[in-house]
Amino acid sequence: MKQKASAPTRKILVVDDHESVLTGTINALRQHYPQVEFFTAQTASMAEQQVATARPELVVMDLSIPNGTGTAARTETGIQLLRTLMQQYPNLHIVVQSAYTKALVRLKPNINAHEGGFTIADKSLPLQEMLTKVDWALQGLVYTPKEMRVGLELKPEWLQVLKLAFEQGLQDKAIAEQMNVSERTVRHYWTQVQDALEVYPEAGKNIRIQTEMRAREEGLID
Amino acid sequence: MNNQAWQRIGRQISQEWRVWRVGAVPGLLVIAVVMLARWAGGLQYFERTALDTLLRSRPPEATDERVLIIGIDEADIREIGQYPIPDRYLAELLQTLNTYQPAVIGLDIFRDLPVNPGHAQLLQTFRQTPNLIGIEKVLPDESGFTINPPPTLPSEQVGFVDAVLDQDGALRRSLLGVSAPSGEYRFSLTLRLAERYLALQGKMLENGKRDPIAFRWDDTELPRFHPNSGGYVRADAGGNQVLLYFRSGKQPFHRVSLRQLRAGQVPEDWIRDRIVLIGVTALSAGDVVNVAALPNSNPGLNFGVEIQAHAVSQITSAVLDQRPLITVWAEGWEYFWILLWGILGISLGRIFFHPIRLLIGLTMSSLMLFVLCYGFLLLGWWIPFVPALLVLLVNGASLTAILFYRHERELQTRLQERQQVIEQTFDTIHNGPLQTLAGLMRSHQTGKLAADDLSARLEHLNQELRAVYESMRQQVWQTDTAFWLNAELWLDLQLPMHEILYSVYNHTLTRDLPGFQSIKLKLTAFEAIDERRLNADIKQGLCRFLEEALCNVGKHAVSVTQLQVVCRTEQQQNVIRVIDNGVAIATLQNVNQQHQFNQAGRGTQQAKSLARQLRGQFRRSPHSPQGTLCELTWPIVHTKHLP
Repeated sequence: MKQKASAPTRKILVVDDHESVLTGTINALRQHYPQVEFFTAQTASMAEQQVATARPELVVMDLSIPNGTGTAARTETGIQLLRTLMQQYPNLHIVVQSAYTKALVRLKPNINAHEGGFTIADKSLPLQEMLTKVDWALQGLVYTPKEMRVGLELKPEWLQVLKLAFEQGLQDKAIAEQMNVSERTVRHYWTQVQDALEVYPEAGKNIRIQTEMRAREEGLID
Repeated sequence: MNNQAWQRIGRQISQEWRVWRVGAVPGLLVIAVVMLARWAGGLQYFERTALDTLLRSRPPEATDERVLIIGIDEADIREIGQYPIPDRYLAELLQTLNTYQPAVIGLDIFRDLPVNPGHAQLLQTFRQTPNLIGIEKVLPDESGFTINPPPTLPSEQVGFVDAVLDQDGALRRSLLGVSAPSGEYRFSLTLRLAERYLALQGKMLENGKRDPIAFRWDDTELPRFHPNSGGYVRADAGGNQVLLYFRSGKQPFHRVSLRQLRAGQVPEDWIRDRIVLIGVTALSAGDVVNVAALPNSNPGLNFGVEIQAHAVSQITSAVLDQRPLITVWAEGWEYFWILLWGILGISLGRIFFHPIRLLIGLTMSSLMLFVLCYGFLLLGWWIPFVPALLVLLVNGASLTAILFYRHERELQTRLQERQQVIEQTFDTIHNGPLQTLAGLMRSHQTGKLAADDLSARLEHLNQELRAVYESMRQQVWQTDTAFWLNAELWLDLQLPMHEILYSVYNHTLTRDLPGFQSIKLKLTAFEAIDERRLNADIKQGLCRFLEEALCNVGKHAVSVTQLQVVCRTEQQQNVIRVIDNGVAIATLQNVNQQHQFNQAGRGTQQAKSLARQLRGQFRRSPHSPQGTLCELTWPIVHTKHLP
């Protein structure tokens, strides 16, 4: 994967209340994205401020963070921050670092509506995992772990996209016209439905074809 | 948090103000009205009647040995065989008395004209009796007549017997001195007798110290009657009057007849050094006065000479025995006293919240007022009873009425709350353990239940039932901003509705219900909806609606492969919809189809009531080609845009 940051204005905000984790994450990311400017925040309120002023492309955040300095770190605070960020910056790419992803289930409607990339990186997994999730998020992809899903769960629009594409062979532009939405929205639907079908980028594989195969497997298309 | 604290304080203030508005403002108005009525004289009759009653109910006093009444009664008149009593008899009577050396004699019989036989003899006796006081009438009556004193008596041996009556015809005051139409100041018989008697005791009549017009002996000043004294309003206080503090008891004075005296049956010490009053005590003579304050076998009617005895006795007893005289408070204090009782009446309502207790409190306060007024009167103080009682009772009683009303309303609220708890309890059981039980029974009927599955599900049911208590306990703690859907799911109602509903959906689908097993695809759309009409109760209701709708699928539908759950706005409508593509169990078993779709079960009732509150619609119907649709829709609130 050679997704190198080229524009000098690329900015990433890392949110974590532990100094050591913060530096560790940034060091790893810096190796991967040497051109990127990094910002840090240790509390939710600081993070909100940073996003508002620096306007980063991506936020890598811990779910359990304190609201302000001196307050205890709580998952609830991280969820509230996520809610706010997704509401105010619909195109912001977000990577959530957490070992407890069940707490994020209730944000699913928000995640489904979020147009930026959104991935969840399990903190207990190796650092390389995290880098992959950052990469996916920067591509605008969505990744949620299996625990967040109860079976196959789709929005009706996504199913429609699948049908238009694979039963009628329409291209995104034609799908957008059929559904009376923008092409961009259609692309957003693709990323969402790919996550629902657990189709993620793999080297040397066409993701659309992977998606079609999975959809057929699930009986979503004829 | 801060905001809530302010709201709480605001609520308390407005609550207190409401109480004051219903309690105090009308209460103060009542006080003002009663005061105005009193000032206008409307309560005079009641206050005087109350005074009479209180005076009558005093404990009896000992007979006043200083005064002897010689009453010429019907038998005496019959024996004499003539009326008016001839002068000869009076002369003889006076001569007899003189032998016993009384302190002073009051002859309460008009003798302005000779009544022969014996006129000369009487004049002779008059001259020999320097301690005799005769009577006159100085104030002209309706026809303009006055009655002269016995012609030969010097003016210091004459006192008038004019009386001032109240509007009700009762005598409550004693006129002691008055300016005669001639301009001359005259003393009453009462005062003359008292003056003579007390002079013999070394007490000389003087002018008052506090009130220069009042009569005074040593430290005893006769409290002068004023136009607004006590319960009187703008009364005729002409001359020098005092209120009569009648001597209580069955026999306030010794009274003997003329016959008894002539027969020598009267003990000597009843006469010697005493005040002897001679009058006619025969009803035929007509010298009667209406006195309501004295207990009497012939209510209200007393002989004039008896009243003279009371009037003289109250003065001599006051000077010599410190017996009280009727005194009143300054008017300002009287009104202050009334105000206090009125405020007590109002505050009773703030002290006692239960109407029965308030009633008891009111009775106790009234009793206390009575005891106070009675006690004060025993000490001679006539303080306002009727107006104070009036403001106390009216204020207290109206508050009682208000309280009864409030009590009833509280009772209703409590009943409603209880009803709500019952319903919530049932909802919790219905949406939880009952669903599990239904699933269990279904599995059992279809024979698909393995033994260890059964025990696992029974264990789950056990857990759920136990959790009901916990859940109900938590509901007690629930606030406007959060509640427990069941023992496991705590929902923050401040979050957007679609997020809350997603949690409900997500949580419900994890439940072990048979209908959920076969679901392959869930088409869900949870998007922001219009929340302007949603209060906490309705939000809870929506959560329960979705839970119930999903449970119905899990319970009643068979071989569902696809489940649609929608919460969003569609064509100006907020929609919560659950569609399954299963075979409704009722259809499958061909029983109770009516029950499935039409009968208002508990869940349907909830949904309908919710739809009513939202002015929307609830629909449950078969969905084509197969399955069931359950849907709640309500219109988006259109707000008017302000310019």
